Amino acid sequence: MKIHPLFSTFANAVKKAEIESDKICLVSDFLYQPKISEYLGFDLFHVTRGRSIPFATGMKLGNPKLKVVVFVGDLITLGGNHFMHASRRNMDIVVICVNNFLYPKINGKKSPTIKSAFSPYSVFERPVNIPHVARSSRAVYVARWTALHKKELTESMTRALGKSGFSVIEVISPGNCYFAGIPASPKENELIEFYHKNSEIKNDEDTKNVEITAEKKIIVGKFFEKKRPTYIDSYNERHSKVIGDKFKIYE
Amino acid sequence: MKANSKGVLTGTHNLSGNEAIIEGAFAAGCRFLGVYPISPSLEATDRFLQRSGEVDATFVQMEDEISALAAVLGASWTGKKSMSVTSGSGLSNMMEHIGLGIMLQTPCVIVNVQRTGPSLGIPNGVAQGDTMQARWGSHGDYETIVLTPNSPQECFDLTIKAFNFSERFRVPVLLLTDAYIAQKKTLVKIPPTKDLKLISRKLFKGAKNKYLPYKNDKNLVPPMVNVGDGYRFHVTGLTHDERGYPVMTSECQEACVRPLMEKITKYQDEIIEYEEVETDDADVVVISYGATSTVVSKAISLAKKDGIKVGSFRLITIWPFPEKRVRKLAQKIDAFVIPEINFGQIAFEIERCAAGNCNVFFVPILGGGLPTPEDICKSIIKASKEKKKIEKLIEL
Repeated sequence: MKIHPLFSTFANAVKKAEIESDKICLVSDFLYQPKISEYLGFDLFHVTRGRSIPFATGMKLGNPKLKVVVFVGDLITLGGNHFMHASRRNMDIVVICVNNFLYPKINGKKSPTIKSAFSPYSVFERPVNIPHVARSSRAVYVARWTALHKKELTESMTRALGKSGFSVIEVISPGNCYFAGIPASPKENELIEFYHKNSEIKNDEDTKNVEITAEKKIIVGKFFEKKRPTYIDSYNERHSKVIGDKFKIYE
Repeated sequence: MKANSKGVLTGTHNLSGNEAIIEGAFAAGCRFLGVYPISPSLEATDRFLQRSGEVDATFVQMEDEISALAAVLGASWTGKKSMSVTSGSGLSNMMEHIGLGIMLQTPCVIVNVQRTGPSLGIPNGVAQGDTMQARWGSHGDYETIVLTPNSPQECFDLTIKAFNFSERFRVPVLLLTDAYIAQKKTLVKIPPTKDLKLISRKLFKGAKNKYLPYKNDKNLVPPMVNVGDGYRFHVTGLTHDERGYPVMTSECQEACVRPLMEKITKYQDEIIEYEEVETDDADVVVISYGATSTVVSKAISLAKKDGIKVGSFRLITIWPFPEKRVRKLAQKIDAFVIPEINFGQIAFEIERCAAGNCNVFFVPILGGGLPTPEDICKSIIKASKEKKKIEKLIEL
């Protein structure tokens, strides 16, 4: 596999959601920028580690007409706080988190979503359950798929792109071929299939129960969806209430 | 660029330094504030909030200063003039994004109301301990522009200037005030809209597929575009080529980073501003900036009673440092006296520029209050009598 399946999935989702592609803006962080902009040609900002969500927040507030998509690898360490707050604010951002469980480009150091990794004394910390963090900080759309669930992932992305509010899609997949643009090694090809084979679709499952463990199958699916006024909606509502007719609706 | 009359509060108003900064920002066309509240910069945040409805400005209170400046940079790329206001540890938090702003060449203004440190210090204590951090705080090599007002009126004027510099050179510009200037209230004169001179970033005008985000023009500043306008560009905080894609070679590092510094050093004569009083025939020159400069005139008049020829040199731009002028002054005078509310920051820069040509006397105060005119006067008298070369600037 030379090109990561996420690229075609995202391209299909943009087409399906009928969004003007000029208005799509991608933000990413961490060591390697996703090759997605090089292949698909959207505006892309590759910013400081972990800070893509606040950068995207500023961008969305600067121009509410943009459709801001945050592509991240590990979003729960440096960006964990930003993730929760953007979710709480319900910023109109789509977060696509490619979870590969570790940092392969720096000798496979442990990431906070892993059970076992390269670490001299193994990993004894509990991993983070990203969908549950998203759900409990009130994201409006929460889903998890592996990269080979192409049909379902396209559907999820289309839904998230068409929706207004903070949407989180976790994609379980090796990251090398996605972030660094290095063609996937045979081992990674095996891995991407392994994740797919060892997953079980459970739509609308309570996010409490979807923690990834070595013993159980990876539970994937669309876990949660709700409608909630976005930050800009609430901003407009509050300001027009206080300021009155003088206030120019922000859009 | 024509000023938007909506934001300009023409007339004379009784404003604190913090409030004057926000009025200056509105007059300059700033319409976005990303902030995390911290004392003593709170009045600025409040003022922006109060007036944001009238002038169609957007305000967001982020979860910390790191994200506040990230949001400001993001908003700046949509074409809005943006700013952040902070203080003390907030500035330390912002450092990584000052670096990003410099690398992505994103115009924005950061107001830092200095308070004492290290760490939390005295929240409302006046200090000048951030002058070196403002220059060197983020990792890597870069040049930056830092302005220091010494009155609410200058807060207003310099904020406009800071926005003009940031838009012209595409850099984050820092405005260093302190707890004293920020909370002092005086009359501030706001000129009519037509008298304001504003500069806006140069936008790229060519074909959409011809845009290279980091192709410098003759002034070493690349023209900018707004995100979402269909230019389909790529920018990164990694070392990048003209296309904005990362290239990990030392040649590219040279080509990418050198212009970031040269664009400022090349035009430093247009940036640097200072105020000199009676330095022509002076034996001793007092160099000050910000809050300390407000007590210098009193100290000088005290010293003049003793028959000492004293001049005053006030820094308005700290970085780039007015090195040429200070070096010239050092050759014809006996000594510099530098009162600073820190334990030696700009004093060392002056000692470097003096290069042994004259003595340098430092009047330190560790923060929380201003130096008294008597303290400065004592140093002036000591400086005028000292004939030997001083070996050490600060003795512990």
